[in-house]
Amino acid sequence: MNNNEAKFLLWAYRPGGRDADDPAFAGALAQARQDPALGAWFAREQAFDTVVAAQLGSIAPPPGLREAILTGASVSRAPHEARRWPVWLALAASVVFLLGASALWRMRSAREMDPLTAFAMADARTETPLYRGEATNNLHRALEDPATRLASLSIDYPTLRATGCHTLSLAGHDVLQICFQRGGTWFHLYMVQRADFPEIAARDEPHIMKHDGWSAMAWADPQHMYVVATSADPAALRALL
Amino acid sequence: MSHEVFTQLVDAHYAPLYRFALSLAKNQADAGDLVQQTFFIWATKGHSLRDEGKAKSWLFTTLYREFLRGRRRDARLTSVEDLPPGESDLPAEEVDRVRRMDGALVLEALQEVDEVFRAPLTLFYLEELSYIEIAESLDVPVGTVMSRLSRGKAQLRAALAKHEAAGPAKVISFPDFRQQKQP
Repeated sequence: MNNNEAKFLLWAYRPGGRDADDPAFAGALAQARQDPALGAWFAREQAFDTVVAAQLGSIAPPPGLREAILTGASVSRAPHEARRWPVWLALAASVVFLLGASALWRMRSAREMDPLTAFAMADARTETPLYRGEATNNLHRALEDPATRLASLSIDYPTLRATGCHTLSLAGHDVLQICFQRGGTWFHLYMVQRADFPEIAARDEPHIMKHDGWSAMAWADPQHMYVVATSADPAALRALL
Repeated sequence: MSHEVFTQLVDAHYAPLYRFALSLAKNQADAGDLVQQTFFIWATKGHSLRDEGKAKSWLFTTLYREFLRGRRRDARLTSVEDLPPGESDLPAEEVDRVRRMDGALVLEALQEVDEVFRAPLTLFYLEELSYIEIAESLDVPVGTVMSRLSRGKAQLRAALAKHEAAGPAKVISFPDFRQQKQP
């Protein structure tokens, strides 16, 4: 490596030693230590970069920007009432199959989850939104009513999406989310249009999956696919049907 | 993502993001909008990022893409790539000269650097991202980042010299976002 090559690398070396452990700079740094001319050049460059970085860092954001960010985000995505769950861990688990009397219950490994179920189980751990809009509130009330059977749930997807149901994005398509409680247990329901996810094999019969302390149930109707996730046992999901 | 975690994310990154946006947009209002838009996108989409450790890179990348989306590239961006490498030797007195300047003047000089060099140069001086992360954020090869840093520094020095010759920096008034509508 000649000095010009070393300089080319050292121009990208941040002041303050943040890149000291990056092996890509090791040769150039060693050469700067051995070559007085290169060393003097590098010292001046670092001094210049340190001053510029400090002066750029002295520019303060305008008053109110932080609050505007936080408020703006909360309009789109309401905060948790309380954080209840740990962060999502890597998907890996054993495969268990259960057969029920009236329906086929399958508890499958996370590796076998379709993208929608994996998304639902991950997202359910992170947030509970507030609701807006009459259609969404009606659905929320229905979901919290013990008499409502989720297997026969009927939704007006366009109206929910247009009137304030919490909307997430998965692979560029909208995922409606609504969270509800029954008997003190939180459930997180995710709804998509089947046409948006042709790669996911829709399950007309409910399937239950369990992984890492979380359970999810997936099913579909002719137009929609649903996933409901909970930190409760699979029995709590069966009770929703 | 809980409100607490989101607030921590904002507190950790909104200031350097604003500085990056200000160097790109060249005015405070647009810079503030860019930062707000970036966190708005995070709030609606970014929370699904699997590796939370990459949130910082994601935010800078998203802000830059939003900036690019907001205006068309002009032909000059490609032609300036053909400029010869900048002067590599830095006069010793230049460091003292820059030290006497204030942040606003340095920012003005930075804003005069061609955009293709300005983006990696600002990210470099913010010290938040390594050259590899800068390359990923700007979607260019690592070698291109290094090349643009060398040229960008040469342009910055020229702009700083011009500003010092012109006299003290003008006062930049920051907009007050407290009266703006939310997205």
